[in-house]
Amino acid sequence: MSALDVLMILLRIAFGAFVPLSFVAVLVWMERRGAGFFQDRAGPNRCNFMGFRAAGLIQNLADGVKLIFKEDVVPGHIKHKFYFILAPMLVFFTALLCFAVIPFADVLTIGGRDYVMQAVPMDIGILWFLAIVGFGVYGIILAGWSSHNKYGVLGGLRAAAQVISYEIPMGLALVSLLAIYGTVNLTEMAQYQGQLLFGFIPMWGVFLQPLGVIIFIIAAFAETNRTPFDLAEGESEIVAGFHIEYSAMKFALFFLGEYVAMFVSSALIITLYFGSYQIPWLATETLVAHAKAVVIMLMLVTPVITYFFTGWIKKNNRSHYHRPNDPRVREANVYRVLLWMAVVLLEVVLIGYLIFAAGGAADRIIVALLQVVTFLVKTTMMCFVYIWVRWTLPRFRYDQLQKIGWEKLMPLALLNIFITSAVIVSFG
Amino acid sequence: MGAKVRVVERKGRTFLEQLYLVEIAKGMFVTLGHFFRNLMDNSRLYVRHYPEVKPEIPSRWRGRHRLTKHDDGTVKCVACFMCQTNCPSNCIMIEAGERHDDKSEKLPIRFDIDLLECIYCGYCVEACPMDAIRMDTGIYSVTSDNRESMVIGLEELLNTPGAFEEQEYQKGAR
Repeated sequence: MSALDVLMILLRIAFGAFVPLSFVAVLVWMERRGAGFFQDRAGPNRCNFMGFRAAGLIQNLADGVKLIFKEDVVPGHIKHKFYFILAPMLVFFTALLCFAVIPFADVLTIGGRDYVMQAVPMDIGILWFLAIVGFGVYGIILAGWSSHNKYGVLGGLRAAAQVISYEIPMGLALVSLLAIYGTVNLTEMAQYQGQLLFGFIPMWGVFLQPLGVIIFIIAAFAETNRTPFDLAEGESEIVAGFHIEYSAMKFALFFLGEYVAMFVSSALIITLYFGSYQIPWLATETLVAHAKAVVIMLMLVTPVITYFFTGWIKKNNRSHYHRPNDPRVREANVYRVLLWMAVVLLEVVLIGYLIFAAGGAADRIIVALLQVVTFLVKTTMMCFVYIWVRWTLPRFRYDQLQKIGWEKLMPLALLNIFITSAVIVSFG
Repeated sequence: MGAKVRVVERKGRTFLEQLYLVEIAKGMFVTLGHFFRNLMDNSRLYVRHYPEVKPEIPSRWRGRHRLTKHDDGTVKCVACFMCQTNCPSNCIMIEAGERHDDKSEKLPIRFDIDLLECIYCGYCVEACPMDAIRMDTGIYSVTSDNRESMVIGLEELLNTPGAFEEQEYQKGAR
């Protein structure tokens, strides 16, 4: 095992572990500021560090510090303390483990060796995801049961019944997808989606499985206990549901687990249906072959985007009331300078690449980085859909939820399997 | 009496509406419109930037209490206990003393209002026969970090000025 092998293993595991965690901060921020903007209010925008508010991201830091330093109460009536403490860990770690099999770039070939860009390069792919995500609900049930609280038990039961009902349409939607892709390996699925349908449409799952994508997304929403299926923690009915007895960092673990699950299921939806890391019409080999042209395009596009972005910052990062010597304008200026410095740095790196390293392994690394960025952008957009849905739709009633799962989604998924297999059999 | 009957079309029965997805998409585009409008120009948010921009308090607003004075600066209150008797939350505590300035026979030597108990119903103002207690200070934010300072006494009640002109207050009050 060479030094490069070890480095690649470390890099991939670091990506698999830290990207979901850092995205929790981004998602909480997106949720709160997004909720504000959806409802015509501002969201948390006051918290600052020496006058720098980072668009409200500092609020997350404050929340984190608060949760760490709060008193961690284990109520005296709890008999099974072990399970009580185990439950949040289970929820958090299963959510994190699911991300291990999701590819974030195409297979990277350096020095004649292939590196599968997953945290854990396994062939079982989607099966791993289904197994682990099913295990995640154990944490919720365990939390509800070991809390020894009627609201906790009700929340846990609701979560269990809901996840079981929605695993079935989800699995059935996957069956028809697997029939098309002919593999359970997620990297191979992503590579399959790099082809073109009829020569001009990207062969993404969403075009091959328009019905399946709807079923899968609805089931994924239910699976992550997000609105409109967040019955497990209906405030008006069962207070906080399964995490009612939890406080401080144990509660924070549930909270983190929920957002990691949301990130991971967005990543999975992207991987299965929206072309994973593929840039439409530009397959990996095309990108590698025209790496120089791609880099030059990148060098031209980045300053233009930055120009508009800094303009947006200048327009919006100011106080909307009379304030002499507005500190927010000063803050915005600092951000603009920093952004332009980052752009200059990027340009220097890219020029260095063009002069010294073009051709060979550097091309492949540049393309892999581009694909990682594409993957993260797509996943963020899917996470935005989660947030968007949350602040648009009201919650379903519990019987409606079960009815949709069993009476609507399951027959539809079966119909989808029938149609898909008929098409595959007749057209090959 | 012929009641006017208006027949309202019942929504939600057509196939497209039963499909639910189309209606969800419509709703989601409404919220997305709000999101982008606010994202592109956040001066259009319907919010008041509160601690810096204060709301305008109308003269009928029931804020923190005060005790009024005669023109010569003596206390209007005659310690009749009307407000204390009328108070639904028992937050007023008056102690009467003898008065020697020919205005009346009694005056309060202690007049405590427990602002933690007070529900700001304004019954004390209604009950007062002398127009001695008013809630026209315009103070809407009563905060403290200890309980003791939330009980305000005669001194503070007398020294807080009203926030409105007499004419304006009378228009609002009666």
